[in-house]
Amino acid sequence: MARRKSDQGSAGMRILAGTLIDETTEVSVEQLSVFCSVRRERIVALVQEGVLEPVLKRRSRRADDWRFAGESLKRAARAIRLQRELEIDISALGLVLDLLEQIEALRSRIGSSAPGR
Amino acid sequence: MEFKDYYQALGVARDASADDIKRAYRKLARQYHPDINKAAGAEARFKEIGEAHDVLKDPEKRAAYDQVGAGFKAGQEFRPPPGWDAGFEHGESFSETDAQTASDFFEALFGRGARRARGGRGGFAQDGSGFAGNEGFSTEGFKARGGDHQAKVLIDLEDAYRGATRALSLRAVELGKDGRPHMRERTLNVKIPKGVRQGQQIRLAGQGDPGIGGGPAGDLYLEIEFNPHSLYRVEGGDVYLDLPVAPWEAVLGRKVRAPTPDGAVDLKVPAGSRSGQKLRLKGRGIPASTPGDLYVVLQIVLPPATGEAAQKVYREMEEKLAFNPRAGLGV
Repeated sequence: MARRKSDQGSAGMRILAGTLIDETTEVSVEQLSVFCSVRRERIVALVQEGVLEPVLKRRSRRADDWRFAGESLKRAARAIRLQRELEIDISALGLVLDLLEQIEALRSRIGSSAPGR
Repeated sequence: MEFKDYYQALGVARDASADDIKRAYRKLARQYHPDINKAAGAEARFKEIGEAHDVLKDPEKRAAYDQVGAGFKAGQEFRPPPGWDAGFEHGESFSETDAQTASDFFEALFGRGARRARGGRGGFAQDGSGFAGNEGFSTEGFKARGGDHQAKVLIDLEDAYRGATRALSLRAVELGKDGRPHMRERTLNVKIPKGVRQGQQIRLAGQGDPGIGGGPAGDLYLEIEFNPHSLYRVEGGDVYLDLPVAPWEAVLGRKVRAPTPDGAVDLKVPAGSRSGQKLRLKGRGIPASTPGDLYVVLQIVLPPATGEAAQKVYREMEEKLAFNPRAGLGV
C-alpha cells in the first residue's frame, strides 16, 4: 500500500498529473499485456474465451484493432492472477470474475468492504 | 528469527502425502486469495500458505525442511545449523516464492539470491518484471519497454469532490548491477484529479520500470481507494447518506440541515415521509461531466422517553392515535 505522507508535497517537488483511466479510456492488447506482465497471446486467449471483451465498435478479427474499456486493465490483471495462483481454468474464469464483481458491487451497496460485517 | 511450521500453516500432518498437501493448499488458497477475500490479514495468510506450499510440494525442499526443522515448534527462535544444506542442490530456481514477500525464515533456508519473482503482487508498486520468470517482454532484442508498476492510493471521499495532491512513498524491488534484487524507495507528488471514483486508476506515463537498452520506461498505475467514511457510502459516482430525522419532521414535513461532502445544505423533508425513503439531490454525488447523485436516506429516530414529560407524550399518543403497527399481519 502506498503510504500517505501528507496532503501537501514537500517544497520544490514536482507535482505529477497522470491520466485518469475511466470508462472513456481505451486500451490495446499491447497495453494489457504489458500491464499484466504476460505475453500478448495470454490476453488474446482471454478474449477468445469471452473473459475480456473489446468495446463494441472495436471488435475485429485483428487483435491489433481491439480496444478495451479502461476497467479491463484491472479485470485482466485479476484474471491472470487467478489463473496463476489458483490454477482456475480459463473456461471458468469469466464466471469467477463476474461473481467476484457482483459480490463487490453488493458489498459496496451495503457499505462494507470486509466480509462478515 | 522465528521458526515457521509449514505443516501447521497448511493444516496437514507431518507425514501428509503430496496429494494431501496439494488439496489443503488449494482449499486454503481459494479461501484466502486477496482477490477473493478482502478481509484484513487475508493477504498475509495467503502468502504464508504459498510459502508453505512452495516448500512442501517439492520433495527435495521438503526433505531439507524436515531435516533442519525437526524438533522446532512454530514461533520458536530458530537459527539454521552451519552447513545444514549439505547434500542439497540449490539451483537458480530453487524457489518460486516471491522475492518481496518471502519470510526471513524462508530466506535463511532457501537463500536470498536464488529466489525468483512469482509475479509480484501486494500493495506496493509491484515488480512484475525485471526478474527471471517474467513473460512480459522479450529480452532477445536489446531494446525493451520497462514494465508497468501498480500501487494503491488511499484518499478521502472529500478529495474526490475537490481534487487533491498526495505525496506517495513507493517501494519497489529492482535488479541491481550485481544482479541481486534491491529495495528502492522513492517519493512522488501526484495530483488526484477531481471526480475520481473508487477503483479507478491514474496512469503516470514513464514512472514504471526503466526501459532496457534505451527502450521507453514503463508506466505507473495508481489505483484509487476511498478511506471508509463515517457518514457516507459510495456506489460508483453516487453517494449515500443516512440522515436521522425526528418523527414529527418526517410526518409534518420540515426543512432540515444535512451534511454533504461538499458542505452542509438545507433539505426539505416532505410531509408523510417514511423511514428508509430516499431523497435524491441531483448532481451532488461525485463530480464528473455527468456527476453522480447524492441520496439522503431518511432514518426516523424515536426520541428517548426518559423523564415524566416524555412518558406522558407517549401515553397520550397511545390513547389518542389508536395505532396498530401490526394491522397488516393478520394478528
